[in-house]
Amino acid sequence: MMLRIESLTKAFGSGANKLHVLKGVDMTIEEGEMVALMGPSGSGKSTLLNIIGGLLAADGGSIALDDRTYGLKGPASVVDVRRNHVGWIFQDFHLIDGLSAIDNVAFALEVAGVSSKEAEQRAIEALERVGLGDRMQFVPEQLSGGQQQRVAIARAIAGERRLLLADEPTGNLDIASAAEVLDLFKSLCADESKSMSILMVTHDPDLASKADRMLLLRDGQTVASDIRSAWGLDEGGEEE
Amino acid sequence: MSDEGRMARMKERLASLQDAPNALRLATQSAWRGRERGLAVVAGVFLASLVITTVLSYGVGLSQIFFQESLETEVYDAKVEFRRAPAEGSSGWTNNTTVLQDVCGELLDGFDEFEDCMIVLGRQGLHTTSFFSEEFAYAQPLEILEVVDDTNLNWTSDVFEYPELADAGPPSSTVRAVRFIDDSGFDGVFADRVKDTVITGLGAWPNASTAVDQRSIMLPASVASDARAEVGDTLESLTFAMVVDRNLAVEGGIPEADCQGGDIKPSENGMVYCRMLVTVNNLTVAGVYEEAPLANPTIPANALILHLDVLEEAQRQALMNNDHVYLAMAVDRAALPTSSTADAAEWLDDVQRRVGQGNYTDAGISLVYIDIIGGTISFLNIFLGLIQTFDYIIMVPIVILSLSVLVYGLVLSLEQRRREISIHRVIGADADRLQRMVLVELGVMSLVAWLAGYVLALAAVPGVLSAVGFMAFEPSGVNVNPALGLASTIVTALATIGLALLFGRSRSRRFLEMEIEEGVRRTSEAAKPKTWLHALCFGVGGIGTLDTWVELQTGGDGLYSNFFLEGLLGIFGPFLLWIGGALLLGRLGALGPQLMQLLLGRTPLLKDVRRGLKGSGSTESVNRLAVIMLLTLSIVTLAAVQGYTGTLVDERTADAQVGGDLQVNFETPVNMSTSIEVLRDVGGQDLAVSATTTPSLFLRSSDGDAYQTWIVMNGSEDVLRWGEQSLPGDDVGTSLGVLANGTFSVGEDAAFSLDLWGSGRDGRSDRGDDLLEADDDRSEVRRFTYEEVNITVNTDDAGGLPDLNVLLEAYRVTLALDLSYVDLSGSDLSERDFGVTDLSRTNLSGADLTGANLSGALMIGTDLSGADLSGADLSGAVWAPVLSPFETPTPGFTGANLSGADLTGLFGLDLTGMDLNTTADLTGAICPDGVLANESGCANGFSQIPPPAIAPLFITPGAVNITVIPHDLDLRYVGTHEFIPGVPAATLPSSLIIGEGTWRGFIGDDVADNHTATTWTFALPDVDGDDLKGLRASIEADARVGSASDWTTAHEAVERNGGLIFGTQGLLSLQFVVASLAAVASSFVFLSLVLNQRQKELAILQAIGAAPGQIIRLVLFEILSIVLMSMVLGVGLGIGLALSFNGFFEVFGFIFQIFGGSSTTITRTLVYPWGSLALVSASVFGAVVLALLVTTRRTLAADLASVLKGE
Repeated sequence: MMLRIESLTKAFGSGANKLHVLKGVDMTIEEGEMVALMGPSGSGKSTLLNIIGGLLAADGGSIALDDRTYGLKGPASVVDVRRNHVGWIFQDFHLIDGLSAIDNVAFALEVAGVSSKEAEQRAIEALERVGLGDRMQFVPEQLSGGQQQRVAIARAIAGERRLLLADEPTGNLDIASAAEVLDLFKSLCADESKSMSILMVTHDPDLASKADRMLLLRDGQTVASDIRSAWGLDEGGEEE
Repeated sequence: MSDEGRMARMKERLASLQDAPNALRLATQSAWRGRERGLAVVAGVFLASLVITTVLSYGVGLSQIFFQESLETEVYDAKVEFRRAPAEGSSGWTNNTTVLQDVCGELLDGFDEFEDCMIVLGRQGLHTTSFFSEEFAYAQPLEILEVVDDTNLNWTSDVFEYPELADAGPPSSTVRAVRFIDDSGFDGVFADRVKDTVITGLGAWPNASTAVDQRSIMLPASVASDARAEVGDTLESLTFAMVVDRNLAVEGGIPEADCQGGDIKPSENGMVYCRMLVTVNNLTVAGVYEEAPLANPTIPANALILHLDVLEEAQRQALMNNDHVYLAMAVDRAALPTSSTADAAEWLDDVQRRVGQGNYTDAGISLVYIDIIGGTISFLNIFLGLIQTFDYIIMVPIVILSLSVLVYGLVLSLEQRRREISIHRVIGADADRLQRMVLVELGVMSLVAWLAGYVLALAAVPGVLSAVGFMAFEPSGVNVNPALGLASTIVTALATIGLALLFGRSRSRRFLEMEIEEGVRRTSEAAKPKTWLHALCFGVGGIGTLDTWVELQTGGDGLYSNFFLEGLLGIFGPFLLWIGGALLLGRLGALGPQLMQLLLGRTPLLKDVRRGLKGSGSTESVNRLAVIMLLTLSIVTLAAVQGYTGTLVDERTADAQVGGDLQVNFETPVNMSTSIEVLRDVGGQDLAVSATTTPSLFLRSSDGDAYQTWIVMNGSEDVLRWGEQSLPGDDVGTSLGVLANGTFSVGEDAAFSLDLWGSGRDGRSDRGDDLLEADDDRSEVRRFTYEEVNITVNTDDAGGLPDLNVLLEAYRVTLALDLSYVDLSGSDLSERDFGVTDLSRTNLSGADLTGANLSGALMIGTDLSGADLSGADLSGAVWAPVLSPFETPTPGFTGANLSGADLTGLFGLDLTGMDLNTTADLTGAICPDGVLANESGCANGFSQIPPPAIAPLFITPGAVNITVIPHDLDLRYVGTHEFIPGVPAATLPSSLIIGEGTWRGFIGDDVADNHTATTWTFALPDVDGDDLKGLRASIEADARVGSASDWTTAHEAVERNGGLIFGTQGLLSLQFVVASLAAVASSFVFLSLVLNQRQKELAILQAIGAAPGQIIRLVLFEILSIVLMSMVLGVGLGIGLALSFNGFFEVFGFIFQIFGGSSTTITRTLVYPWGSLALVSASVFGAVVLALLVTTRRTLAADLASVLKGE
């Protein structure tokens, strides 16, 4: 078991206005598994992802990622989680505008303490792995959306991170680029030498169907763990 | 349009009117919610409003202060008198003081312009407003004839002679006057104006009741000094002359029969007066006052003053009946319009007209208003115009700075609204409404900011006006009210709020015209900067700066000498340099992070985050921050450098003028111990004092020219306030040491005529402030000759005669005017009144002296060859071609035209056998022996009877033996000098300076030890400030002292002039403070905006694993490197700016020195106040660090998840 989440709770606001978003989420992700997290808007998908990714503190429960347990402390206390354990991929790519592709990737390694030389070496490897070996000196505005997202993926995988958190990774991409990104995800999970797990928030059923497993977040809890129930289909319902 | 359409529009308008308060409330709320982005606008408008209001209000205050300080010596603003001279049976006048008091009351009630009114019995009425009326010459003051003090025999008639009056106006009177004034003169505004002139320790200005009870009399200083009168003395009587009748001499004057009981006095003005003598008895000297310089002659200056109740009623009536009465008026000077000469003149004309129109009291008094200060104001206004031009020009940078902060603030703030506007458009808001929304919000913010800046400026201006040095303030004691008029207020509002709205309008319109999609996009395309334009400005300005620098270094013409080009670049150069430099260097400043990355990239400080620095520096806002830093810090530097330099120039000017703490001119030559004795007699026996004098004599060079040579005494560095500029070399101590013995320095003109290095004779390189060593090629040894003139007086049996030199010197000091050694050759001096003038060795060859008055002149070695002296008055003059046979004789009267001249008693001390007859044209002249010249000239030649003043010298022919012993001196040249503190600077360019050691070598220790001089300079380590002024006034009042000047007074005279330009110090201090504050404030505002824009980037960094510490480090290094670099560049730019402004300062400074009559011009050598600059820079830096930490921490504390989501 790579990621284990137990009774995670999170609420926003206070008093009468208090909104309980997560009401005790339990879930696990295995090594090399790609999991799609779905649910209606406002169901807490992003909140859950943010807590796992160390951008937000939960109110209760726990997260165990490999041998690291966390969940209740703010972003400043879980720098190591973001640095060594989880890699982030956003819908808006979130690259640093002034830096080239290789600098964007290497910078993330350097802040984690990797020496400059090694960081560059690993950045090159990561960029080649995502198929951008010929675009390394390009700055974000010179790259297409799909290419930018691949730089972001390279940035997320360049370190020793074992879990990728992707928040609508194809939301801003055309169909072809989205397919490329998904293929990339699959190959990352399948890579025997450096196997990674991916937790991906998406509204796209097509994308979700490509995942190994699907989780549905409803009423603040994960209620299903297969695609059918995730879509609210009873047994015997139509296959898509 | 149909009626319905019209109705619909009306309704719409009404509705929008009803909405107005609502809209305003919404705008206010919106402004408050958007205060973060509004901060930039508020800061910009506030700063612009503060600066523009201050500049305008400062101009108003400056005029007031300038006028009031300049009018300080005028006590009376106007003389109001009866329209027609009093005559029996005529109306419109009174001889009743009570009625006159009522007239005063009516004037004060009826005219806001008047502050006080005083009845004066004194000079006769003029009854005309025309300054060119002959009445100005005819109307007589109450001339003093006699004062009796039984215990003091010094009250002779000489005491009352006041010939200076003749030079100050029409030839009315040259005798000291007495004036009787009423209570207002002792208790009111008038008393306030004169109170401070009473010399400390010499009584006080009495109040009215004391003045009547004690029968007080106030004496002007020179009267008290000449009569040796002291406070408390009782004067048995004072007799003065009241004019009762007059008639022109050409009309037969006044027969004795018509002036019974009085005396008949013919006057220089051609009028004969019949005068009755009036006596007041039993007076007490209440105080001695410092005399005012002679100014407007309407009321005789520096009179003896008493209360009019000292007179008997009959005497008062007699004075009034004979027209010796007027009302002195004090106008409210703060109310005087100072915007222009025309305004002031109009204001005064209006008062004059209105006073003249009325009839006062039941007696129907008719008045005429004679203005006194109007003329002064007209002159001052020209001067003030120059000052204001200068002051406004130096305020241009700070105005530009404030406006650029405003514009930058607007750009940043509106940029943030672009997205908002586009989003509103998406949801269907119409363009007009959106624009109105932006403008109303902008209007509310800028109105508040403008008001705050306006109010603060008005409150701050009196403080700024009180600047006496750079960042040194002292209330001037002048009442100023620098409120702005409506028009000026509107200007400040338009320049700030108007600009903000205009700018906001065009920007928001552009946003509205944009494609929605483009507007919503988060980044904007920055306009490409016009680098070539910035570089061009910088380059052209740089040429001007370089030119000034080269000029300062070499003293030459610099890079170019075209007058037009000099002027053009002199004025516009600094601004081009500044603007171009800031924009160009701003981009360099933005490269700071790259530099930092290079320098510190490998250190642990930056190792992990250095890659993040790569992408910075390119953003628009960071660039703007760099530009603002550059602008502000360059102004701070400019203001500090020029301010400190100005302060120093003031001190140096006072140093050069006074020489030490105090300079005293004694009535007779005294030696050092006597001079100190006199000082201690006045200032107390335990007064710590050291003294020095700077003797001068003549040295003759090997080619025969005589050079005035000043001797710098040993120990003069303890007394004289030497400046670095004065002697050759940079260190005065070293220079004095080298000059002490066997060396000499020369002024620039002397260097030229002696063909020594330093004259610039061989081009620019032949110049400089170097102290030349013995082995220096530029140094050389020159031979000079000192001619020791020994005059031995053969004593007679009665016990001998005093020293001839002393006598001659004593005679010379009695001469009114000293023009000795002056080159006036070829000048037009016709009809000039030289009177008793020292013309020794004056070059008057070829001069036009027709009709000139030279009677009693001392003319030893005077060159009058070819001069036109026809009709001149040379009676009683003393003439000698040379004093000793050793000297080369001057051509004397050779070729002079003396036809018709009066030579009666012309005394010739002819040692060379020069014959008057063979040398000059004497046709029609009156010979020295009093007979008319015949065809062969004057048979008896010069008179051999000496004039009485120097008669003792020549009592017995042969009593005087003159021998001359030449001493040859080989002296080494050490460089060029500029001045000696306390020595009139005019002579120094053509003079030599030697040391005391050299002097003693040929003059002998005995003579040196007993050297006497009239001018002594003192150092008074324990006396300064007002005490020094007091001591000076007391010393001046001492009978043994002719005049004195002190450092404090000299410094005060220049200190508000900021390096000689009035008001500059205040403005530079203001610039310094405002620019410093702007630097600190804008760093706060801009940083918070910059970081706001970068919030997302910082969140991304965190998401990919950067720790808060790393981010703070990254931001700190990035911003600080930009700020630091911009600061360094800014200070550098400021120094360049100060340098390039220096040419401009020098030109204006020169004009003002000429206007001000200053003889010593101090070179504006720039002083760099590194301490202050470091302090300001450190404060700015500290503020930036603080702002960074606060804003970065706040950014870090933001909810990462929502920032990344873009919520």
